[in-house]
Amino acid sequence: MKRKMPLIAREQKRIYTGFLIIMAVMFVITTAYTGFNPMVLVRNGDAFWEFITKDFLPPALPKASRIPGIFESVLVTLALAMSATTIAAILAFFVSLFGSEKVSPFPRAAKYVRGFATFLRNIPALVWAFILFSSLGIGTGVGFVALCITSFAFMVRAFVETIEDVSQDCVESLEAVGASFPQRVAQAILPSCLCGFLSWYLYCIEVNIRASTIVGMVGGGGVGLTLFSYIKGFQYDIAFTIILLVAAMVIVVDRVTGRLRKEILK
Amino acid sequence: MKPILVFDKVSKEYPNGTKALKNVSFEVHEGEFVSVIGPSGSGKSTILRSINHLIPITGGSVYVDGEEVSGLKGKALRNLRRKVGMIFQNYNLVYSLSVLQNVLHGCLGYMGGLKGIFGRYSEEDKERAVELLKELGMEQFCLNRAADLSGGQKQRVGIARAIMQNPKLLLCDEPIASLDPSSAKTIMDILKDMTHKRNIACIVNLHQVDVALAYSTRIIGLSKGEIVFDGPPEYLTDEMIERIYGTSRENLMIGGTDEKKDAAYCA
Amino acid sequence: MTEPAKTITPYVVRDRKNRISVRCAQRNTFIPGFLIVAAVLSAISLLYLQIDWLKLLSRTPEVGGVFWELAHFDFSNMDLILSSMMETISIAVLSLLYSLLLGVIFGMLAARNIFRITWLSVLTQSFFTFLRAVPTPVWVLLMMVCLGMGAEAGVAGLCVHTTAFFTKSFAQSFESIPDETLEALEVTGTSRLSIFTNAVLPAAFSQIVAWTGMRLETNFSECAILGMVGAGGIGFIISRNLQGYEYGTAGLAILLVFLVAYIIERIFVWVKKRL
Repeated sequence: MKRKMPLIAREQKRIYTGFLIIMAVMFVITTAYTGFNPMVLVRNGDAFWEFITKDFLPPALPKASRIPGIFESVLVTLALAMSATTIAAILAFFVSLFGSEKVSPFPRAAKYVRGFATFLRNIPALVWAFILFSSLGIGTGVGFVALCITSFAFMVRAFVETIEDVSQDCVESLEAVGASFPQRVAQAILPSCLCGFLSWYLYCIEVNIRASTIVGMVGGGGVGLTLFSYIKGFQYDIAFTIILLVAAMVIVVDRVTGRLRKEILK
Repeated sequence: MKPILVFDKVSKEYPNGTKALKNVSFEVHEGEFVSVIGPSGSGKSTILRSINHLIPITGGSVYVDGEEVSGLKGKALRNLRRKVGMIFQNYNLVYSLSVLQNVLHGCLGYMGGLKGIFGRYSEEDKERAVELLKELGMEQFCLNRAADLSGGQKQRVGIARAIMQNPKLLLCDEPIASLDPSSAKTIMDILKDMTHKRNIACIVNLHQVDVALAYSTRIIGLSKGEIVFDGPPEYLTDEMIERIYGTSRENLMIGGTDEKKDAAYCA
Repeated sequence: MTEPAKTITPYVVRDRKNRISVRCAQRNTFIPGFLIVAAVLSAISLLYLQIDWLKLLSRTPEVGGVFWELAHFDFSNMDLILSSMMETISIAVLSLLYSLLLGVIFGMLAARNIFRITWLSVLTQSFFTFLRAVPTPVWVLLMMVCLGMGAEAGVAGLCVHTTAFFTKSFAQSFESIPDETLEALEVTGTSRLSIFTNAVLPAAFSQIVAWTGMRLETNFSECAILGMVGAGGIGFIISRNLQGYEYGTAGLAILLVFLVAYIIERIFVWVKKRL
């Protein structure tokens, strides 16, 4: 019998097969657990179609008096994302200096700094928002803090990785020169990592535009709240207009940050 | 003559249990050009980095200019570090800054906190930095980004930064390991010349035995964290090399047998 | 003839006060401008939001109180928490798997180098860009209107966003395959579809695995919050118990969310190292 010629390395093939097997097993288990049947969607096709054509389309404008309010809510969402990301980035910069064993003046504490950031990061922003709502009350301020927490934690990790990648060597050389820690930060870490930091900052703005819409839905204010109230009020055609608005907002921001990132990394 | 550097029964054990240095003792005096040779992992890098406390030692003591290193902290440690210049295999420059700024980093140890943070160097320092670059034939690159230089040029900036400190001792961690042969020769010539002119003691980690023979006044051979040879290059026999590298000379890429004569001509 | 001063070289630039300039001759002038604009915009944003900082600050001690109570875990509802956790994980995984399939198909359509029908690629890409731009909870809410509460709405809603994400990323991976490879196969007379399954897909496989792992993290956290906007799962337990001041149960659920998210992250880091 002729043996089949292997086209890819065996090691790789094992990984691929493993991946596929894991996928299949997970599929069976989760389908059994939830009883999810994709045919339900097909069977409900008529309902979908009716919903889309009757309730959803065509997009309708809300009452003229409401329109300025809606634009204002878009601005609130944008402002929320922008300011929360900036504040978080500034805080994350200072904290990330202590998050790497090789750079921090207190190497033993670095592990705890990273652990703390991991804890904050792995709890979704919306959960933070809910925890804070129950103690601080509903409002834009709480949405701001919730967004700050997760993007802060995310950027701490990203910044620490950037620092370890980029400036470990030059920090060592400045240490050998006899420079103090603030001098090392200002003369080695900041100039060599700034581009990387800003790139992550822009990415975080993108993420936060979406997150601030979601946090808005549960009480953080902004366009998320407006959208949520229209959906809950069964005014789907107006809701669709706002969905389009949100999409436009996100796409524009994505485009702008993409361009800026290219410019910065040049 | 007072020694610049004293190693007194220094040992270093890393947290993972590796014993990088075992009871290492030696002295370095003014004007010496010492090469440290030995296979990878023999502790060459650890020796250099324990001198300026980039790596804390676990036993014995290191004295630089009569001062014990291991107990120092904060300001005192920085004051000691500025007496010791260091040059790295990967140059370790801040590549987004200009050549001049990188050279001026050598003054940071002498500057007050805020001035150093904002890079407000004095005019005298700047003049001195330009002079140094001129001496190294680099003045036309003063305002180039350090990233745009070639390897040999980057290393020259690294040397200028170390000399800028006015050091009494210069540590070179495999300064030519990432360079092509011709830049490597330039760099070694510069090192020899600069340290000789300024009477700076110099310790160089090297992989190339022939370079060590050609340039140094003294060679230290390390094997598994212990000094197995310490003496002038003339005494480094083939048997010694064998002991250091744990294999016979034919298996090493050192050069022909009349290598020593050639090297003598070069120097 | 005047002798030049000792240190003057033509390469040194001095300012009006005869100070030597030390900064790079050619530096990225964009970054300082960007920093200033970002700072100004953020300051304006902060003012525009009109956050009542005093009120926030005065209530801050209560946050500590809430955390204190959250830390007093209440294990009496453990079975409910665990079953909704399983549900959340299942929804996240199922939507991931379905989207993986859909993403490969649509990614194939969206990549410009597979079928070489430009209008199809552009159409697919812009459609999914729109889907991606709308946050997931919105899609889930709309799905709930059609399908009612339950796993179906969750899976379908998550699928919208995840498929859109996969379509874009996979199309990118497919397009990164050099044209020469495809041309070489094309001249042998292979059909486009079999070129895709035999050459493009295997080549992009490791990237697909990487994207999948990355998306699992996102999907889980998205899924965990769905309950908070009205769908089921662990998020519902958290929000209901927080609102009902049952902090012990909520705290336990939040801890579980953290643990699962953390484990997924660690697994992914491990897988990424192996790839």
